[in-house]
Amino acid sequence: MGIGRVSTATLLLLTAIPASAADAAISPGEYLIYAGGCVDCHTADDDDAIPLAGGRAVESPFGTFYSPNITPDFDTGIGAWSDDDFVDAFWEGKDPDGDHYYPAFPYTSYTGVSREDLLAMKAYLFSLDPVDKTTPEHELAWYISTRLAAGAWKMKNFDSERFVPDPDQPEQWNRGAYLVRHLGHCGECHTPRGSLGALQHDRELAGNPNGPDEEKIPNITPDRKDGIGKWSTSDIEYFLQIGMFPDGDFVGSAMSAVIDHNTGKLTKEDRIAIAAYLKAIPPHLSTD
Amino acid sequence: MRHTIISTTLTLVLSAGLSAPIAAEPSAEDAYEYRESIMTALKGHAGAISRQARGLAGDSDYVANHAKAIANLGTELHTIFQEGSNIEDSEALAAIWDKPEKFAEALANAEDAMAALGEVADGGDMEAIGNAFMNVGEACKGCHDSFREEHEHEH
Repeated sequence: MGIGRVSTATLLLLTAIPASAADAAISPGEYLIYAGGCVDCHTADDDDAIPLAGGRAVESPFGTFYSPNITPDFDTGIGAWSDDDFVDAFWEGKDPDGDHYYPAFPYTSYTGVSREDLLAMKAYLFSLDPVDKTTPEHELAWYISTRLAAGAWKMKNFDSERFVPDPDQPEQWNRGAYLVRHLGHCGECHTPRGSLGALQHDRELAGNPNGPDEEKIPNITPDRKDGIGKWSTSDIEYFLQIGMFPDGDFVGSAMSAVIDHNTGKLTKEDRIAIAAYLKAIPPHLSTD
Repeated sequence: MRHTIISTTLTLVLSAGLSAPIAAEPSAEDAYEYRESIMTALKGHAGAISRQARGLAGDSDYVANHAKAIANLGTELHTIFQEGSNIEDSEALAAIWDKPEKFAEALANAEDAMAALGEVADGGDMEAIGNAFMNVGEACKGCHDSFREEHEHEH
């Protein structure tokens, strides 16, 4: 039982981690679809649901939203969309008819994603088989049941803005910031919301006691008591890969799906970038 | 000689304790506590394997022990969800008993994954152990997703 054998064992274990999406030679667009967390929301919650054909119910304090079909079906999906239509949906929160999206579609985060990445995502979606599936209408509280209400909300709470790397921060931090704040839209669940559901950006990732599907969403800032300040970079990276907490417990809940469809499919390098960013943001106590 | 007497006495006392009559069915509280013990043991071994996998356990070379422990614990998983044991502190969801077939399938997945981990533990094929552990994690996560109330995790 020499050190040589131990080291070899450790190395082999490390290499035993299943190939990430990037290693499996998938297209950049497919990788970005995973990184954007699209599959989870845009796939119905049935065992035999077709990925990305929509219909998943998302409960919120404002009612129930049903995700749309984003396969390239011409009538029920996004098959008729131009490149600009697609980019506008993410950057401006508008559909091709100019109607405002509800922020259940997290354009408030996606607005920072680059056009290049968005068009790669579109190319991947358009490479899929179109699925003819009409999804249910949203069931919302009366006061937000028109798209005009969505527009009014947007005027007050939204700025269309691309991500600009911070030259004072390392490249890894910037990559993590792009993934966490924009593509991965972590704050949509993990950042507390004020009245009418606007994200409290000054309390980034401090947890949301009233998150989607009535789940209490944890604080993931580096606060050592309320947040994940005691987690190492390796702990965070490993959690994002397989869903294991530092104490060996495994996560359930909505985060389990995020790991299956998003973070678990990223490269280790990207997960470490996310961890580096999470360790660098300001610590906050949780919202009661 | 004295040592032998003490050992013998201790053995007798312990045997007597272990062979004491056991109630037909534990109380809901006892069933819950027993389940918690098993789950705590499982997560301890999982944490240990993961730290070895990440090269954070120094020169430790006991990964096979932890893998076999998980496999052993896995064999009793189907016995620890006594109906009615989702008492106040329990995170067990009613779906465990409301959807018995779906739960049995999820449990069988976990037991199979844990057994598979045990089967490769002794072979020295560390790649196989790593892959088997990933499958165990997947099974744990799958079951927790549908059948456990997500609690506030101690950080």
